[in-house]
Amino acid sequence: MIGFLLRRLVMVVPALFGLLVVMFLLVRIVPADPAAVLAGDNATVAQIEQIRQTLGLDRPLYEQFWLYLTQVLQGDFGTSLYSSRPIGADIALRLGATIELTLVSLVFATAVGMVLGVLAAVRRNSLIDYVLRFISVGGLALASFWIAIMLQLLLSMHLGWLPLRGRLPASLPAPPHFTGLYLVDSLLVGRLDIFVASLSHIVLPAFTLSLAGLAAIVRFTRSSVVETMQNDFVAYERAVGYPQRRIIMPYVLRSSLITPITQVGLMFGSLISGAVAIEAIFDWPGLGFYLVQAILSSDYKAILAVTLVIGVIYAFVNIVVDVIHGLVDPRISQKG
Amino acid sequence: MRKLVLNGASALAMLSILASPVAAQSANEIVWGDLLPAALDNHVALDQPSQMVMLNVYDGLFRYIGNPPDLQPWLVEDYTGSEDGLTWEFTLKPDVKFHDGSVMTAEDVVYSFHRVLGLNKGAAGTFTPILKPENITAVDDLTVRFVLDSAYAPFLAALPLVSIVNKDLVQEHEKDGDWGAEWLASHSAGSGAYTIDPDTYRPQENLTFIRFEDHFFGWDDNPDPIEVVRAQPIQETTTRVMALMSGDIHATDSYLPTDQVRRVSSTEGVHLAQDESMRVMFLRMNNSKPPFDNINFRKCVSHAMNYEGFITGILEDYAVRNPGPIPRNLWGSPDDLVGYTYDIDLAQEYCDKAREEGAPVDREIEIYTQAQLEQTNQVAQVLQAELRKVGVTMKVIPANFFNLVAMMGTAESSPDMWVHWVSTYFVDPENWIGQTYDSAFQGSWRGSSWYTNPQLDEMLRSARVELDQDKRREVYEEASRIVVDEAVDVWVYNTVQLRGLSDQIEGYKFSPIGSGADFRYLSLKN
Repeated sequence: MIGFLLRRLVMVVPALFGLLVVMFLLVRIVPADPAAVLAGDNATVAQIEQIRQTLGLDRPLYEQFWLYLTQVLQGDFGTSLYSSRPIGADIALRLGATIELTLVSLVFATAVGMVLGVLAAVRRNSLIDYVLRFISVGGLALASFWIAIMLQLLLSMHLGWLPLRGRLPASLPAPPHFTGLYLVDSLLVGRLDIFVASLSHIVLPAFTLSLAGLAAIVRFTRSSVVETMQNDFVAYERAVGYPQRRIIMPYVLRSSLITPITQVGLMFGSLISGAVAIEAIFDWPGLGFYLVQAILSSDYKAILAVTLVIGVIYAFVNIVVDVIHGLVDPRISQKG
Repeated sequence: MRKLVLNGASALAMLSILASPVAAQSANEIVWGDLLPAALDNHVALDQPSQMVMLNVYDGLFRYIGNPPDLQPWLVEDYTGSEDGLTWEFTLKPDVKFHDGSVMTAEDVVYSFHRVLGLNKGAAGTFTPILKPENITAVDDLTVRFVLDSAYAPFLAALPLVSIVNKDLVQEHEKDGDWGAEWLASHSAGSGAYTIDPDTYRPQENLTFIRFEDHFFGWDDNPDPIEVVRAQPIQETTTRVMALMSGDIHATDSYLPTDQVRRVSSTEGVHLAQDESMRVMFLRMNNSKPPFDNINFRKCVSHAMNYEGFITGILEDYAVRNPGPIPRNLWGSPDDLVGYTYDIDLAQEYCDKAREEGAPVDREIEIYTQAQLEQTNQVAQVLQAELRKVGVTMKVIPANFFNLVAMMGTAESSPDMWVHWVSTYFVDPENWIGQTYDSAFQGSWRGSSWYTNPQLDEMLRSARVELDQDKRREVYEEASRIVVDEAVDVWVYNTVQLRGLSDQIEGYKFSPIGSGADFRYLSLKN
């Protein structure tokens, strides 16, 4: 198991390096001019040229990349071209919000998705199965920003049950920073009011964000369970007279979980990208908005830093998924 | 299943009761839902939202107040300018206190201007051509002297662009000759009516302003000012307007799109502040590229634009037709300037004439828009549809401002056409016509028409050094007529700014500079 983990970790390094090279090229090939951005609206041509030289943007690309790489390896993402603030600090401020949102969505989508998937499989071709199929296809097909606005209108504006936007009301302070996840940090300092407030704020964005993944997990779990149930061993267990519940829980589920778990790993990527839109609509102060701002102002160091951070998280999540795979099916970790 | 739904609903209701925002907000606290600047340090980055910080956290030597904006001495008690317009002396008001309690002196003013010139960003472009750092000096504790390289008529008008910072405080945080830029990016060193709480600053998310009781201007004019303002930009317009309607915030941004305007107008408890600003929409034409080098073709495009259709049909009259480059509510814009009217037959005539003269009218024209600014796409589509009627094909290409700016370096790489606004940085025709049509600005986005006319250059440059405003007015009026006659660009409208406000807000005072974000005038109705 440890050898398996190490192999996976080593493989992450070239992947991240590749990501960095590709992103650096992409960001610098786009014909944007950070110097013109920086110089401001009233800049003269000479002023722009001077800034270009100060930033080293007139040097060869490989030289710029080397400079950047050595900086990043020392853990320094540089300062934002635009705001002069250290990029690392800005990302740290926002990372927790995005991780909290995606984690809650992930857990919700996985837990609910698997239960509903099993339900649909066991009650195959019943009314429940049809309804779930309808909903899950809908969940994949409907645009999440549309659902988001509808939920805002209904639950926040019309019924007033849930907050419209943000992570906390203006009246409450952010809890002290331990994990960056308000749900966890508020409990750690025993502030139940902050916990409840952040829970009520995260419900709508997390639910909306989870929909697409939820739908996928329902579909995959259902088909996987259906397939397993057609195996001989299930027929045998049935014949022996085991009750349905005892067959499903330990035996069928364990054999059926591989596909949905793979799906969870893949889903994380789409959750992060989906978070860009959801964060915007619910005014959730995460990385998505930071990234959009960075792109629009061609703040290339900030773009690279966010991509790298997301890359690392994605790699990490997939290693975790691999480990879970290994636990569910020991053959996988042995093969490596 | 039904039980499940009910349970879910009651759980949500429970959660909402538990989390209902207890009135922990102090009575005199508001949430301002407008954009935050890219950086708190406006010497480094100067964008339109910077005004919120410049007006509230800092003071300048002069300040624009009201609409139409009136330039008033602010930190300055008295000033003199030499007849040749080169030497200016300003006497500061005594006992102006910075937020840390220290008293502002002439040294702070000198340092602030040195800092702007030294960083060479933000507002520096306005001053570098006429002002050298060594020519800004402190005569005594309260007197500052500027000696300009050449006379510059808009000098006073441009002074509000420079916020006066606390020299000692900034110098304490200087690092490797960075003028304290890294520190000031997240802190403040001003004397303004509000100070900021750096601990609550989260870029593009929250900035908390706290009233500064010792502000030099005093608070006699507003007995019940707002104590705390939380500026929280909400990224999505729809969400921002919903937040206003639900009482979450007290003000939106000031550029509401027309569909949201309707929502705000029809909701109780909120209203719309509607003010004509000074922000002109330009459709730029690259005069150096055929067929745009042909005046008849440019006139064809100018007559093909359906101004009324766009302003009335799409903007629902929340804009005012502006026939030339200078905002029609500013001096220098001729009152009798008619400009171009939508006339498709006339457009056809001009296009035919251009074609006869050998202009490649039939090549596909490209117009670049700023993708995230919906109006730029709409106006391009209106023009596209009209041009089709006269046989001109136009392709609309969405882009982003900064990519566009990168294209403006040379005449060849500059687009055929593109859409932008010229906003108010300082209130002087120089801001609109001078920096746009003086050929010296070619190579920056302002000079992207690539129109060169030595006579016009001469006029604009003379207006820049002429100190008599009446003479300048004549020159600018004449210059406006020239660029309109020559159909250098297509000018569409002057902006009406639209801000959603809670009915609880009193004292809202609009100015094109800052768009009404000067918090010191505001109070809350009980």
